[in-house]
Parts: sequence; C-alpha cells; structure tokens
Amino acid sequence: MATKVRNVRPAVSSEARWWLWMRITGILMVVFVFPHVIIKDVIVGVHNIDLNYVAQVWANILWRVFDFLLLFTTFTHGMMGLRQVLMDYIHSATGRRTVTWVLGILWFVISLAGAIAIIGGVQQPGM
Amino acid sequence: MKVTLKVFRYNPETDQRPRYDIFHLEADPNDRVLDLLEKVKAEHDGSLAYRRSCAHGVCGSDGMRINGRNRLACKTLVKDVGTTIVVEPMLGLPVQKDLIVDMEPFFEAYRKVMPWFINNDPPPEKERLQTPEERARFDDTTKCILCACCTTSCPVFWADGSYFGPAAIVNAHRFIFDSRDQAAAERLSILAQEEGVWRCRTSFNCTEACPREIQITKAIAEVKRAIITGRLD
Repeated sequence: MATKVRNVRPAVSSEARWWLWMRITGILMVVFVFPHVIIKDVIVGVHNIDLNYVAQVWANILWRVFDFLLLFTTFTHGMMGLRQVLMDYIHSATGRRTVTWVLGILWFVISLAGAIAIIGGVQQPGM
Repeated sequence: MKVTLKVFRYNPETDQRPRYDIFHLEADPNDRVLDLLEKVKAEHDGSLAYRRSCAHGVCGSDGMRINGRNRLACKTLVKDVGTTIVVEPMLGLPVQKDLIVDMEPFFEAYRKVMPWFINNDPPPEKERLQTPEERARFDDTTKCILCACCTTSCPVFWADGSYFGPAAIVNAHRFIFDSRDQAAAERLSILAQEEGVWRCRTSFNCTEACPREIQITKAIAEVKRAIITGRLD
C-alpha cells in the first residue's frame, strides 16, 4: 500500500518566493541561453558578429524580445544570487532590508536601461 | 605503526590564541582516533579536553574535525586517515576548551522545530497504527544522533549562525513526514522563515559529513518542496 498524500497549508514567507523565483529564472536561463550560445557561438561564430549583423538580426522584433528576455532572466537570476550570498554575511534585519532595496533599485534601473537600448535598436553610422 | 597526532589546544580562560600540540604515538592500524586521544590524555597530557560517551558511534558526543573533515573519533580508524592526523574542534560553534565546542546554538535551533511527536487525537487503546510504507517514508531521518557533524560542516552555518542548519531540518523532516503526526504545517511554517530551509545552498557538505549516512540534502529538498506545494507524499 502506498503512502497517503496529506495536504498542509504552511505560512509561506517572502523568502520562499525569492527561492522560487531563483528556480524559475534558472530554468528560463536554460531556455534562452542555450539557443543563444548555439546560434551566436557555434553556427554564426563570435568573430562574424559585428554591428551590421546585430542590425540585421534586430530588424526582426522577435529577436529583440528574445534578447531582452535572455538578458532580463540572467540578470535577475544573478542579482538574486548576489542577494542570497550577501544575506549570509549581513545578519541584522535593517541591513538585510537595505541590501534588498538597493539591489532591487539597481536591478530595475539596469533592466530599464537594457530594455531602452534594445528597443532603440542599432543606429548605424550614416543612417 | 608510528602516528603523529596534531591536536588543537585552546583554553579561552588562559590562552591568548590557540596552538597545536604534537604527539608521537605507537598505534595499531585498527585503533580509532578516539583511542589515540584516550592515550594522550592517560599517558601524556591529562588536561586535554574532549567529549566522549558511548565510544561506539551511537551517542554522537565525539564529533570533531579529523584531517579537515567532520567525523566521529570513535568511528574513525587510524588506517583510514593516515599516519599524520590533525584533530580540531568542529567549526561554527564557539570553542569552550580544546576539542569541546558550545553546542547550545545547535540545540537551540533543534528545539525550535519542535522535535517531538504531536497528535491531539485521543490516544487509541493500543498503538497508533502505520503501514510499513508510511514508516519507511521518514526512516532515513530517524537515524540522526545529533552529533552536529552536518551543521558544523555547512558553509552557510559558518557565515550565518542563526541558520537552522541541516540537523534541525533533518529532525523536523522526521516528524513532518510521519503520517501519525499532526503538526507538519507548524513545522513547515517555522522552516519557511528567513533562517529556514531557503538558506541551504545544496553544497552537500552535510551529506558527506554525516556519520549515519543520512541523505540530508535530499531531506532538506523534500522539506522545501513540501513548503512550496503543501503536499506531503
């Protein structure tokens, strides 16, 4: 006889949500990074990538969305990882809150700048 | 065989800093590291301090760092660690004297997860029944002897002493997955806090250190999953 499944409702803290997002962005990174590496590094080759190539690729809006999601998930994952490491060494509640807010603001500003750059596209000289 | 035993010595009341005492001993390959410590204490330096009780790997008193790894001195044979043996106290807990550490922070975390059976139903006439499969679900985590080898091998615990640590989570797991227990939600709520299971970085040090070979990292992952899904299966 198998064990019976029991359902419980524990109080879930914000830390659980941080942990869950770490996993979700980790899986998304695999989805976005693998095609990126295979296309850019294996099929095209890094030495063949220049401004002209980027302009060609970004002419398609789907590639812009793809690149934004690639950068967004990897950057989000990295920032959450940095927060996790800092939490090991910062033990006061105020310190932890401050670090979380500072990293959050940094994350938002850099993500926004990245989004603007990608939406802005490539400005080729003389165009 | 000749063995060089290098022992960490420190008395916070008299010493400014720790030192290592070196003893050259005659030993049998099948001697245990605990036997060497007993020999030093009996024949060389009676002031050497360490914990020991059953000396058979059951009580968990003599957890210490032997050649850089947390082990029980009574379960570690000389032939398995070589002829130069360095013995140090476990990391992450304050040293009281020589190889003795203050275990209170460890037991404080242990008490927080309510490591006792909770069932508010009226007791049945005989025992509370459970199928062999239900018993097997938490069998691995019943083996813990609270030696602290796992918790004091955890790099997160070294940096953040308020992390519950692997041993407390293992002992919570033992009751969370017990079909007869009724306080799983409370225990999971405690472990879902900031200093709970989320601090685990799955470095597997605890699993490697456990002298009872408990699959600790797996148990921690099961607790994480139970908190997220609310399912105990």
